[in-house]
Amino acid sequence: SSQVQRARENFSSVQIDRKVAEVVQFILVKDQKKIPVRRADIVKHVMKEYKVIYSEVMNRVRRTFEQVFGLKLEEIDTKNHIYILINKLEAGETVSMCPGNPKSGLLFVILSIIFMKGGVAKENLVWNTLKKLRVDSGEKHDEFSDVKKLVTDEFVRQKYLEYVKIPHTEPVEFEFRWGLRADIELSKLKLLEFVAELHDQDPQSWTQQFREASASESRT
Amino acid sequence: MSRPMGDSHRRFLQSMMSNGIIGASQAKALHKHCCETHGAHYAHDRLDEFIDVINTQLQPMFMNIRKGMSEEDGLQYYALVNMAETDVTRMASDYADNELELFRKTMDLIVDSESGSASSTDILNCADSLQTKKLKKKETEHVLNKFVQDKWLNEKHGEYTLSVRCIIEMEQYMRVIYQDLIKVCHVCHNIALQCQICENPRCGIKMHLPCVARYFKGRSEPHCPACNDFWPHEIPEILRSQSQG
Amino acid sequence: GKEKASQLHAEGSAFDPSAFAEHLLSFMGLNRLEEEDDDQDGHLNGFLPQDAWQKLAKRSEVCFKTAPSFHYMLGSFLAEPPPPRQRVE
Ligand SMILES: [Zn+2]
Ligand SMILES: [Zn+2]
Repeated sequence: SSQVQRARENFSSVQIDRKVAEVVQFILVKDQKKIPVRRADIVKHVMKEYKVIYSEVMNRVRRTFEQVFGLKLEEIDTKNHIYILINKLEAGETVSMCPGNPKSGLLFVILSIIFMKGGVAKENLVWNTLKKLRVDSGEKHDEFSDVKKLVTDEFVRQKYLEYVKIPHTEPVEFEFRWGLRADIELSKLKLLEFVAELHDQDPQSWTQQFREASASESRT
Repeated sequence: MSRPMGDSHRRFLQSMMSNGIIGASQAKALHKHCCETHGAHYAHDRLDEFIDVINTQLQPMFMNIRKGMSEEDGLQYYALVNMAETDVTRMASDYADNELELFRKTMDLIVDSESGSASSTDILNCADSLQTKKLKKKETEHVLNKFVQDKWLNEKHGEYTLSVRCIIEMEQYMRVIYQDLIKVCHVCHNIALQCQICENPRCGIKMHLPCVARYFKGRSEPHCPACNDFWPHEIPEILRSQSQG
Repeated sequence: GKEKASQLHAEGSAFDPSAFAEHLLSFMGLNRLEEEDDDQDGHLNGFLPQDAWQKLAKRSEVCFKTAPSFHYMLGSFLAEPPPPRQRVE
């Protein structure tokens, strides 16, 4: 519109370049801890008086992430405008220089249980399974320290997990589901293949899960 | 005109992001791997040009892949660094405010020392008088450990030194902040913290240990390259891996 | 039995979290203690090696399209010159 056009003329291209860089940096900072970024925060902390040209700046931010970093800025919540960064490059074989992050091993286990149980798993089932892996929700763990906090707070804030009260339960019970980030960041098919490999079984022997995984693969 | 980036460049950059710093030989292997993965043309002697393509695109984002020498082993490393100091970069969330204050104090101690190092005792003393929030002994040890793990500090027998990653990223900053306290190596002209010093009071040049080793290699009687006085320090051996580089 | 088998055919295998945990333990390299039976509730005895979770994380990396993150020291704090030296006699 002409209003945007006029606003656009208030900023030099150098100023706009600079704003794009700031938004990129802001999103990279939030991604250090895998915290999703809200549009409201981008406007408040970085965009400020440039918010009249928000979409133009964001388009360039998106392009920068794709063309320079090989990353994709995904809107995981279109109502509240929440964004995360995901990788556009095929995971494949990496030159293994950095060791795996133990936390993502734990996350893999929890997400696998939920997926294999059809999309929802009761809290007790998850804790009992983890206990067999020497991870006790009531004890301080060498690598994960406060496991309960990591799983029900950090993973939830990162949007890997949803941790919700089951209605009409007394005493109150909770269940886990996949969070919005997990839906976008994980390949259900690759997860199922690894789970099957661990069991020395064919992925297709879990009919439901295989159907679900294949369907979600064709959606992306 | 700048050459466009391909997926091979993007994969290299991503690997630099997750590693922070890699050795020159790892960088070579990574270069090959990235080109092969994406079917890009690979020339083994073109690593620095390959990195230049990435740097041209990173520049506007105030990021850079930079090369530097380790004061300890004399080997070359590549680090991905940030070059901006803004309200946005200060939102970086890896460390709490008092942890960052401890890091600054540790740098102060190291830069101000003769040896280019700070003892854990001295750092622990600092931790007791932080303005932001005091750190207990246990907490301080934990934080120092984190700095070593994240490759900002090195530790040997309770002595802490600045890592090559830290020096590569902070070199400009240190020159501005510490000014006269900062000396450069007579041989390689980079910041010299862990080094030997000419004992002639009118000279006092500094040389990194690996630079000393390289400079005096094969010379029978070592003399200061600046004032020609006798060089009274023990001449370190060149590391095997270093001579290959 | 027959009914269950046909149901299994239609629904595929059932997922057993306990079996999953046991497979994970083997993958992570559980060191079983010799001469010791597993305790009553089917809990496997033994201990996991130090890098157990890292190993699992590394293998499961292919399932994730996680973006690598960028970490730095410069610019994360306000630049301040050091206080003037206090020489102690
Ligand atoms: Zn030198
Ligand atoms: Zn001299």
